[in-house]
Amino acid sequence: MAKEKLASKNLNSNLKRLAEITAWFDAQDQVDVEEGLKLVREAVGLISASKERLVGIENEFEEIKKEIKE
Amino acid sequence: MQTQDEKILSVSEYIDFLNSGLKEYRAKIIGEVSEAKTGPTGHVYFSLKDENDGAVINCIIWKSNYGLYGIELEVGMKIMATGAPNIYAPNGRLSFIADVIELAGEGALKKEYERLKKQLTAEGLFAPERKRQVKNYPQKIGVITSKQGAVLSDFLSNIGSFGFKIKMIDSRVEGQEAVADLLASIKTFKKYNLDALVIIRGGGSLESLMAFNNEKVVRAVAGFPVPVIIGVGHHKDEPLVDFAADISVSTPTAAANFLNESWNQALLLIERYERDIVGRYEKILENYKDIENKLKVAFQSFKNALGNVKINLRNSLEKSLSGFGELLLTANQKLSYAEKAIALNNPERQLKLGYSIASHNGRIIKKVRDIKIGQNIDLKVVDGTINSQVKRIWQKRS
Repeated sequence: MAKEKLASKNLNSNLKRLAEITAWFDAQDQVDVEEGLKLVREAVGLISASKERLVGIENEFEEIKKEIKE
Repeated sequence: MQTQDEKILSVSEYIDFLNSGLKEYRAKIIGEVSEAKTGPTGHVYFSLKDENDGAVINCIIWKSNYGLYGIELEVGMKIMATGAPNIYAPNGRLSFIADVIELAGEGALKKEYERLKKQLTAEGLFAPERKRQVKNYPQKIGVITSKQGAVLSDFLSNIGSFGFKIKMIDSRVEGQEAVADLLASIKTFKKYNLDALVIIRGGGSLESLMAFNNEKVVRAVAGFPVPVIIGVGHHKDEPLVDFAADISVSTPTAAANFLNESWNQALLLIERYERDIVGRYEKILENYKDIENKLKVAFQSFKNALGNVKINLRNSLEKSLSGFGELLLTANQKLSYAEKAIALNNPERQLKLGYSIASHNGRIIKKVRDIKIGQNIDLKVVDGTINSQVKRIWQKRS
């Protein structure tokens, strides 16, 4: 259930944040090591949570009856 | 057990008895419409004639079923009707109660297909602007397909484990008979909150896929509240639902892969970010490690250099000391030589030999011109000084 907390909306926002972090690294000539470490920690958390959501979540399957014509 | 001829039945009872038996005689019959009229209730009464020998059967199709197929029965039309016989008690009339009617012959089907395609295209039902995108990371999926056959298992074995919530309705998908099932299935799913609806079946002929060219089915697909993915194989003519659907694919596997796509892309994206961000930071740390190593190497070199300097200093000192000793020795020797040389060259030694040193007013006389006749000179001899006057001067000829 915890895995499903990361709904598709959160997955979207995680990916967006990761794109921002990558862009930050791209923009630096000399990387500020402390700031870089902070962002890497954040990124690792996002990556880990997203991977959990994406990998090996069982599907649910249910057959339902069609409603008989009135 | 009493046989029917022993038991006495009323006419109604007998007709009921016959009708229960007649249900077993469900069939699909082909014939030419020789009569057709719509009753006041909307039910349609028609006759089908055997083209070969003129045999005729009376038929009825109820209003609700008649409306499904988009066929206006006309005399001369060749059709197929599916149903069972029934005796109408009030008049004892046997009629074939048709549930399904369809045009007979591929020619007729093709003609109807073209007609409907033209009509719906003109209405704008197939317009590209109407197509909707399936949202990223879809989860709630409705599936309409037949449980028989490999289609459902193909779909389920190809759909990724991304936490999909799949609801499925078992529906007929073959021939005209499938129309009612498909419509009921689509109507049922309208009440569910789905991200996408998937309708799939295997390939087939124009007759086989007939229901997917049915006007009501096509409109139901076009008007469905969320995007519809159609995966209905075909040989030549694309079923009209393909044009009405938001996404059209050729196989159940392709439909599953379509739903997986955004999830797979997200996974690739995450893996790329991981490589980029973490990899980049590792590079920074590597650089620091590099610097640390270089410092270590440099420090070791410095230590070595210091050590060398120490050794060199010691060597130099030793050399210097031994050199200095030699120097001293040399100096001593030189001093002795000098002493001897001085002693040998001491002018006072010459005095002992009888030489004298002449001087005038404290200045030593070295040459004849240094003195004049009549002047006084002092002669220093070994044990004193003699004062004398110059009487004569002889200059040596050079």
